Amino acid sequence: MLARRSLARIATQPSPLGAAPKNARNMATLREIELRLKSVKNIEKITKSMKMIASTKLAKAQRAMQSGKQYGLANSEIFQHTPLETPAKRKLFIVVSSDKGLCGGIHSSVSKATRRAIADTEKPVDSDSPIMVIGDKSKVQLSRVLAKNLAMSFNQIGRDIPTFADAAGVADLIVKSDVKYDGISIVYNKFVSAVAYEPEIVEVVGENALKESAGFRAYEMEDDVTKDLAEFSLANAIYAALVEAHACEQSARRNAMDNASKNAKDMIDRLTMQYNRGRQAAITNELVDIITGASAL
Amino acid sequence: MSSATWRNFFTYNKYAQITARAVRQSLKESERVVAEKRGTTALKYQQWENGVGGPQVLLNSEEGKK
Repeated sequence: MLARRSLARIATQPSPLGAAPKNARNMATLREIELRLKSVKNIEKITKSMKMIASTKLAKAQRAMQSGKQYGLANSEIFQHTPLETPAKRKLFIVVSSDKGLCGGIHSSVSKATRRAIADTEKPVDSDSPIMVIGDKSKVQLSRVLAKNLAMSFNQIGRDIPTFADAAGVADLIVKSDVKYDGISIVYNKFVSAVAYEPEIVEVVGENALKESAGFRAYEMEDDVTKDLAEFSLANAIYAALVEAHACEQSARRNAMDNASKNAKDMIDRLTMQYNRGRQAAITNELVDIITGASAL
Repeated sequence: MSSATWRNFFTYNKYAQITARAVRQSLKESERVVAEKRGTTALKYQQWENGVGGPQVLLNSEEGKK
């Protein structure tokens, strides 16, 4: 009994921090909603501007891709006439991606395609086939799964339209390195349309295979010239893959930022409704208090 | 020059890039500026051993220190 009375006394005494304002919980929620609304609006501005930038870059990248594809077509002409007698067992995989993120599933699609190709049972390749990665994002993804196969990695490509100098540098380093392979597979994203892309693998015939092929033997090509051709066609193929992957990345980034802006807009609408409803509820409560207070006088 | 000795020192791609750079530098000023953009590369590479990456090296570090 004494305990109950002392509890009641404590409950009626004002708390040392002072009385909380009447609509404390509502206002705190309102403040939170307001802050969230502001931050989502800022995010929407950023994603919208990123989408604009990606659209303009996409136009330029697509033009570069059209002209860059000719290099790849020239290659495939040669390789069509020099078919491989025996399928290559030890393939060098060149994975083409880039350093920047916020572009949807570009990097993971290429990494997954590489993993599928290495684990493929229909056309088996050596499980310790070397992999060379262009681009930091795929490098991180592949180093988690296939770290033992990684031979070399390249970055700082893809900030702007890739140049043939980039491709020639990569090809030069590949040829100079003492990595052994029978054939080369370049894994990149093919540009299907402005909203779609899919991973593709393009084969590049190595120098030895070219020498062995029937067409080259019939023409009695000199070894020096064949070596030059193999190196140059590798640079061609890498260049074609680089420009196409760059165009895919810009289109994927534009689509991703477009989706993000739409989602942000939906969130803004929802939060604005919530905020207005909360604000009106607070006003109504205050009115009720005032009116009951006035009616009591 | 019937016997080219450059093959002992670098690959065909390096040879092509050197000749391309010579051509670009010989162009008229306005054309040269446009062509230089086509020849820029900031490539960096790193060797990997047993799942561990080595240091990242700038490809043009020797030429860049002109």
